[in-house]
Amino acid sequence: MIQMFHVTKAYPGDPPALVDVNLSVEKGEFVFLTGPSGAGKTTLLRLVFCAEPATRGQILVGGRNVARIRQGSIPFLRRNMGVVFQDFKLLPHRTVLDNVALSLDVLGVPRAEARQRANRMLKLVGLQHKTESLPLKLSGGEQQRVVIARALVNEPALLLADEPTGNLDPELSQEIMSLLQDANVRGTTVVVATHDLPMVERSGKRVVRLDRGRIVSDAGGPTVVRRVG
Amino acid sequence: MSAVAKAQTFWRSAMEGIRHQPFVHAVSTITLAIALFTLGLARSAAHELDRLVGSLGGEVRVTVYLDPRVPPAARTAVADGLRRRGMAVEEVSPHAALERLVRELGPAAESLRGLSEDPLPPSLEVRVPESMRAPASLRALAAELRGIAAVTGVDYGEQAVERLSAIARAVRWAGWVAFVVLVGATLIIVSATLQLAIYARREEVEIQKLVGATDRFVQAPFLLEGALQGIAGAALAIAGLIAFRQTVSPQLSTLLSFLRLPGAGADASPWMEALELALAGAGLGLAGSYLAVHRFLRA
Ligand SMILES: Nc1ncnc2c1ncn2[C@@H]1O[C@H](COP(=O)(O)OP(=O)(O)OP(=O)(O)O)[C@@H](O)[C@H]1O
Ligand SMILES: [Mg+2]
Repeated sequence: MIQMFHVTKAYPGDPPALVDVNLSVEKGEFVFLTGPSGAGKTTLLRLVFCAEPATRGQILVGGRNVARIRQGSIPFLRRNMGVVFQDFKLLPHRTVLDNVALSLDVLGVPRAEARQRANRMLKLVGLQHKTESLPLKLSGGEQQRVVIARALVNEPALLLADEPTGNLDPELSQEIMSLLQDANVRGTTVVVATHDLPMVERSGKRVVRLDRGRIVSDAGGPTVVRRVG
Repeated sequence: MSAVAKAQTFWRSAMEGIRHQPFVHAVSTITLAIALFTLGLARSAAHELDRLVGSLGGEVRVTVYLDPRVPPAARTAVADGLRRRGMAVEEVSPHAALERLVRELGPAAESLRGLSEDPLPPSLEVRVPESMRAPASLRALAAELRGIAAVTGVDYGEQAVERLSAIARAVRWAGWVAFVVLVGATLIIVSATLQLAIYARREEVEIQKLVGATDRFVQAPFLLEGALQGIAGAALAIAGLIAFRQTVSPQLSTLLSFLRLPGAGADASPWMEALELALAGAGLGLAGSYLAVHRFLRA
């Protein structure tokens, strides 16, 4: 699903955020990305998401080389990805339902169908009673679930989540994690960047550790030993 | 189905945009209304100017001098040819021409009395219909007449006609320059205000792109807003023009009556004019928002 070959990302004036990263994530995998603050986790997800180009190296997403992708093709790539970013990025003046349906609106799904599918997704994340609320009236955990519903409503092949449990207490974090695992069970490849080491260890999933832009360990999950870039 | 769904999404998004930023949209709409009102007035003025030039051109007579040696029947044939093309033609015989000259010269004409033969050639006095009074058509008509064997000369006050048309041309040019300036200034103001609207919704744009919206999808509601502003501006401008014509215009024409403006007639249909203004408004609004959206997406 994701293949990175010798990927380097440097911001002008700073030490590079990613250095010669090699990483392969198979279809249907669930991968944690951890490491200290500033290690390059967010940067890695942003490269996969085509929010920025890599400085060097090749990135394949779903077999497509995104290093040389045309600007106009990026939206079509993103329609196959769900994203959950740290700051929720919900539209404050739209209802929860409209926020979730947005992912389908951009595809041109008819309004009635979009609302129906958004409703179903919100039920799945346990927010069926909040569909007509405005996002700011919701708690942090609830907002995070709206974001996850928006990311998953068009059944993407890949889900990227950056600190999805960042500001939540352990119990809520567990809830969010099980939502992501449910999506994984339904066939979506999931990559989660997180600081929450206890949760990572409990899960028994594959863990890729970054430090100062380099992959320093890659272990767990179905294949135990991997080449470290 | 998907196109309809998208159109509905754009419409909702545009309406929401207008609802959330009434001030920005009002500024833009009023700018467009003022520009369209001015264009409407300028067009009426151009129309009046055309009629004025036309009426002055009516003073111009074409005199066709004929060869005295050709038989009168051939002269009449030339006159009839012109009459068939809608011109009023008066045949002036050499005798009549001399009498007229004597009348015009008064006492100084004594010296002409002694002439036995008619010294003046026969001629035709032609009044040209309005549609042929432009200098170019007069020139063409003169050239055509000179080509006829029986015709020895054509005189139509060339200089006066040319000067009049030069003035009309200069006014028209000035009008075009003013038009371009007005359209340019309107586009700048409209695109600047719309940029404010887009800036206020940059978060929405960002989120739409996050979930895979194409640039076109992001642009569409703003273009729609621009077009709607243009149409609303046109509606205001049309109301303004109607009010202007009912109050100020009659006073203006009595004020300018010394110019002998021909009575208002053959005005373009008001529905046609309204439609044209609405289209011009939608076009201006679209162009303004297109510029704004493009500058924003490039940034
Ligand atoms: N837009 C940017 N411009 C300049 N430097 C940047 C930019 N984005 C990230 N960086 C730098 O790249 C490095 C990696 O940042 P990144 O956000 O990927 O870290 P992270 O692992 O996500 O950290 P955290 O756990 O705190 O979220 C940091 O040193 C950061 O300062
Ligand atoms: Mg980060």
